[in-house]
Amino acid sequence: MSPQHLSRDTKRFLWIGILPAALLYGLFVVWPAINALMYSFTRWDGLSTPVWIGIDNFINLFKSGSDFVTAISHNIYLTVVPGSIILTLALFFAWMIHLKVAGSTLFRVTFFFPNVIASVAVALLWVLLYSTTEMGPINNIRQALHLEKIPFLESARLLQSIVPMMVWSATGFYLVLFLAAMENIPADYYEAAHLDGASPTLQFIRITLPLMWDVLTTGIIFLIVGGLKFFDAVWVMENGRPSPATHTMSSLMYAKVFEEYNVGYGTAIAVLLFVLVLVVTRISMRLLKRERLEY
Amino acid sequence: MRGTLLEKLGTLVRTGVLGLWMLGVVLPMFWVLATSLKSTKEVTRSPFGIPESLAHPGAKTFAVIAENYSKAWVGSGFSTYFWNSLKVVSISLVLILLLGSMAAYCLSRFEFRGRNAIYNAFVAGLLIPMQLILIPLFFQYADWSDVLTRSFAPIARMLQLGNLTVSLHNSHEGIILIYIAASLPFTIFTLTSFFGTLPGGVREAAMIDGASEARTFFSVMLPLAKPGLITVAIFNFLGLWNEYLFGIVFLADNKLKTLPLGLASISMQAQYKSDFGLMFAGLVITMVPTLVVYLLLQRHLTKGITAGAVKG
Repeated sequence: MSPQHLSRDTKRFLWIGILPAALLYGLFVVWPAINALMYSFTRWDGLSTPVWIGIDNFINLFKSGSDFVTAISHNIYLTVVPGSIILTLALFFAWMIHLKVAGSTLFRVTFFFPNVIASVAVALLWVLLYSTTEMGPINNIRQALHLEKIPFLESARLLQSIVPMMVWSATGFYLVLFLAAMENIPADYYEAAHLDGASPTLQFIRITLPLMWDVLTTGIIFLIVGGLKFFDAVWVMENGRPSPATHTMSSLMYAKVFEEYNVGYGTAIAVLLFVLVLVVTRISMRLLKRERLEY
Repeated sequence: MRGTLLEKLGTLVRTGVLGLWMLGVVLPMFWVLATSLKSTKEVTRSPFGIPESLAHPGAKTFAVIAENYSKAWVGSGFSTYFWNSLKVVSISLVLILLLGSMAAYCLSRFEFRGRNAIYNAFVAGLLIPMQLILIPLFFQYADWSDVLTRSFAPIARMLQLGNLTVSLHNSHEGIILIYIAASLPFTIFTLTSFFGTLPGGVREAAMIDGASEARTFFSVMLPLAKPGLITVAIFNFLGLWNEYLFGIVFLADNKLKTLPLGLASISMQAQYKSDFGLMFAGLVITMVPTLVVYLLLQRHLTKGITAGAVKG
């Protein structure tokens, strides 16, 4: 686009077009983000004058045995374990649909269902599925098999119990994403490979995966960022009072600020979360985004 | 011959495997729906049987359904939650689409000083987790409410409108402003690239016909951008309708709660814990709207994800 000479009408239109959005974005996103950085260097109870304490909050976060270190380990657990299962299943199912099945549209549409349900509703649905009362389906099945009931929702077990929930609710999205990438690969590639006698598995490894690498990277970044921000289900399943055994970074941040009035410390968690998102996105792009294959 | 037989067998096996996963996805949802049609007594007596209200339809059994849903809809405030959700999300959506599309159009089709800086500032917002702005907004809102009250209260008194207090906390307006601002990065990012794909001559042709920029935008460019707008609208709708974290901070008042907030708070109250009829009905009321929207618009949603995937 070459520089244009802008008429008065055009200039006015540009102001009206951009200013409201920029103003809202500046006041309600950028300004709070800058404030967050400032809060994180203070000790503040939310009422009195904040005291500047430098990087003490960040040092305290990483003191050994701090709740934060435990919380971040929970985030890592909730990223790696469900993430790898979701990635594997989504790739596997997408590949199967791609290879031809009956009723592929039906699968595509229904697999996506849990994705559009509110995370709060998904969490509550699993609370009911895991229930130890007479109506809990999973424990009922266990009893029918003469196994003992498991209190899936007790704090010590909660994070493990969240894994199937995440797999159930997220796989559909990644399947649709990966399937779209697979269908974008020209058929001639597979035909050529087929003529050379390459098995479907070999075709998947040698053609499909490399040519959808970009999308795979995007998927991995989504999964990691989602795991870092994890909040809703822990909050609902712990009745709004997670314990150190179940806190994630976000829920710990909430508890520190709104229950312990430790605003500086809580905001430091938010800042660290932001830095982690930045770093992870950057590193994943570097490591995973190999040279883009043009085809 | 062998090849085709093998192929058919392969298709059969794959369909079977996918069918199993589909059952796993759909069964819990059907279970919730079926259970919402049972009385709490029936839930504990036969948690997995076909609901009596369906097996032996009659006035008496339908009363059970009516009881569960009226208890949820009227007695426990799900109607309020639903209308609150509808209000907050629809106002946010309209404004997001209006402001987002205007800004995106300006940023994609015109060359002016500061254009790249503004665009990059918006797109950088994609990397900001909402957790980062949550706490400062909470305190900002208290300050701003004070300032607004102090500046507008005298005017209101002068106009004899009584005592005016502005509060951004615990108000739909307050959270709508946040929702709009927080949705702009994704909206502007997506629509800017969408407007970039529209043919270049269209605007010029309209301008030659004497239309102003505003007219050209609203009656020529915006209709052309409809597919992009629909995609953006669906993603924002789903995100906002299901939003929880900002809600618990900014909508504490029960009268103002949206569906996810209402559902969560009811599920956390001990007295409702064993009222299964109510709980399942509430769950259905929360799940159904997004499922319906998804089923109606799933083609566009899939297309949106596909476009993203192809671009990488």
